[in-house]
Amino acid sequence: MIRVPSLPSAILFAGGLVLCASPVLAQDQTNSTKPTGLWLTTDFPAVTERIGEKPTLPLTLTNAGEPPQRVTISLDGLPKGWSGEVTGDGKPIGAAMVDTDAKQRLELKLTEPKGAKPGTYDFTINAHPAGGAALTLPVSITLAAAAPDKVKIEPKLPALRGTPRSSFDYSLSISNDSPNEATYNLLAQTPPGFVATFKEEYGSQELTSMPIKAGETKTVKLSVKPPKDVKAGLYPVTVAASNGDVHGQARLAMDITGQPNVTLSGPGGRLSGSAEAGKEQTFNFTVGNTGTAPAAAVTLSANTPSGWKASFEPKTLDGLSPDDEKQVVLHLTPSDKAIAGDYMVSLDANGQGTSDSEQFRVTVTTSTLWGAGGLAIIAAAVVVLGFSVNRYGRR
Amino acid sequence: MRREGSPFTGLSAVAMKEAADHMTSARMHLVMLLVILTAIGSIYAAIGQIKSTVGQDAFLFLHLFTTARQPLPSFVAFLGFLLPLIGIALGFDAVNGEYSRRTMSRILSQPIYRDALLAGKFLGGLLVIGICLVTLWLLVTGLGILTLGLPPTSEEILRGIAFLAASLAYAGVWLAVSMLFSTLFRSPSTSALAALTLWLLFTIFWGMLAPLVAGAIAPVDPFNPITVVHQAEWQQALARISPNTLYGEATTALLDPSTRSLGLIFLNQLQGALMGAPLPFEASALLIWPQLAGLIAAMVVVYTIAYVAFQRQEIRA
Repeated sequence: MIRVPSLPSAILFAGGLVLCASPVLAQDQTNSTKPTGLWLTTDFPAVTERIGEKPTLPLTLTNAGEPPQRVTISLDGLPKGWSGEVTGDGKPIGAAMVDTDAKQRLELKLTEPKGAKPGTYDFTINAHPAGGAALTLPVSITLAAAAPDKVKIEPKLPALRGTPRSSFDYSLSISNDSPNEATYNLLAQTPPGFVATFKEEYGSQELTSMPIKAGETKTVKLSVKPPKDVKAGLYPVTVAASNGDVHGQARLAMDITGQPNVTLSGPGGRLSGSAEAGKEQTFNFTVGNTGTAPAAAVTLSANTPSGWKASFEPKTLDGLSPDDEKQVVLHLTPSDKAIAGDYMVSLDANGQGTSDSEQFRVTVTTSTLWGAGGLAIIAAAVVVLGFSVNRYGRR
Repeated sequence: MRREGSPFTGLSAVAMKEAADHMTSARMHLVMLLVILTAIGSIYAAIGQIKSTVGQDAFLFLHLFTTARQPLPSFVAFLGFLLPLIGIALGFDAVNGEYSRRTMSRILSQPIYRDALLAGKFLGGLLVIGICLVTLWLLVTGLGILTLGLPPTSEEILRGIAFLAASLAYAGVWLAVSMLFSTLFRSPSTSALAALTLWLLFTIFWGMLAPLVAGAIAPVDPFNPITVVHQAEWQQALARISPNTLYGEATTALLDPSTRSLGLIFLNQLQGALMGAPLPFEASALLIWPQLAGLIAAMVVVYTIAYVAFQRQEIRA
């Protein structure tokens, strides 16, 4: 409501929300005579707010052509439990002064009581100029029920494929569709033995929870490491973001393809043996597959010093299923020129895409034939002695 | 005319008497004093060297024998040089000394054959050398335990015993040689000089002679690399005529377990070989067995020659 002392009538937009006299309209009606007087106005006198959001109304005190006046401002008819505070320049005020042809910006901060119900609440803002009629500004605030909190988690690539050795990295977008900032716990449910870690999108810090502002979307990285001995197959992973009130989840899939892993182990687990120079010696080796997929063709080979002979029997193993073991025989013949002592022979089991190499330590012994030769020389000398004793003895 | 009974009746009596005579003789005392003094000196030097070395070694006791520190040679080198001297000292007048003392006919008037006399003298000398060597070995090991504070391992003891056996065979060769000279020459001084000459020839000059002779037998053709190998083989074969070389090789392989071969090695034999890995005792024993067999056979053959010469001698002069 405006006090218009110089105008015969006030123009009221009673049905409208703005209760003010338009100076432009007044000008039109009074033929370029500016309206003079004091006004208290607000942009939107009837607003709808969500419960929990503190309503704030901007107020404008306008003085047109009047001398500066002190104006006391008060609230009237506030609903029960509500509190309101008028501030100017950020400070609570009880009165304001406006210069001639100036405007004073004020603000009304309202606090609703806890558990306020949706509905329309009416009250009036009064402005008392010193020695004048009061200006009243009826305000109507409608409280609407708050929108429910919502969190959404969305994988960019929901299904990945790899071997048990690879790391599965999922990129997840978490959007907070609630009106408030919230901290969400990040959870991942994996098959037993799998290790899941959340990380920043560009960073190595591991996360357990993450604050997200209202309406914001953040991207996190989930990397899942399967156990090395996991069987080939499709494994589900459920990932969730939750803060106790709301819960968003998404399903991811890991398609693990198998991988063969060929191992070679020596006789009785040892990687040493002895062989006589120039003589064939056999060693039993075990070729195993500790991987998760069958190894197609495993070729066995030996890399020996020159002059040595080495061959595996069989040379090739066709198909070795996971957790299977097969015996192979290594026929090893050290060179007859090999000197006594230790030699290294390198052995390879090479499957397609997987291989194992072992260093086999062979202690070469030389033939004891020469030892017998030495004995024969001594025996010959003794025979000569015996002969001479027989021939010349007993004198 | 064939005589009855064992030719070796009274052998043990002669041997024990001979050993007792040696043990109390001033000559033996002097030689042993020399050996023990040099042994203590070289072992003391070796212990100093070992103590100043930082590092792990599985065969510390064997290093006692082989470690040398300037200006002293190692214990083994001393033994290789001085063991022949003991053998010569014990045998150079074994037979001709009896003649010069005019006791030969007196001994042989006893109911023993000449066989037993010579064999007894030889075994008696060998027994004395054996006792000396064992004493020396125990002395060294005891010094080692005392100063290093470690007991020897069984492997080291085995190798030490094999080293003793090789030393005994080596000394036995020189005992047989000196007894041969004492049988051949009537004068003890001549036989002593002959034995010492041979000793000097083999221990000092043989190492210089062998390459010369090998070069003459198998000259090196610069355009034929195999001739180098031939010459090296000849040189080694000639060097091995000397008992000193055989003994040196045997002790090297026994006291340094990482010795894998004593002969010429081609590079392709070393391909894939783990250098420095110690051989087990059996492999080392197999490696030196030809050397040891050669020493034993040489000892037996030289003794046989001495025996034949002695049996055919006129002793009533």
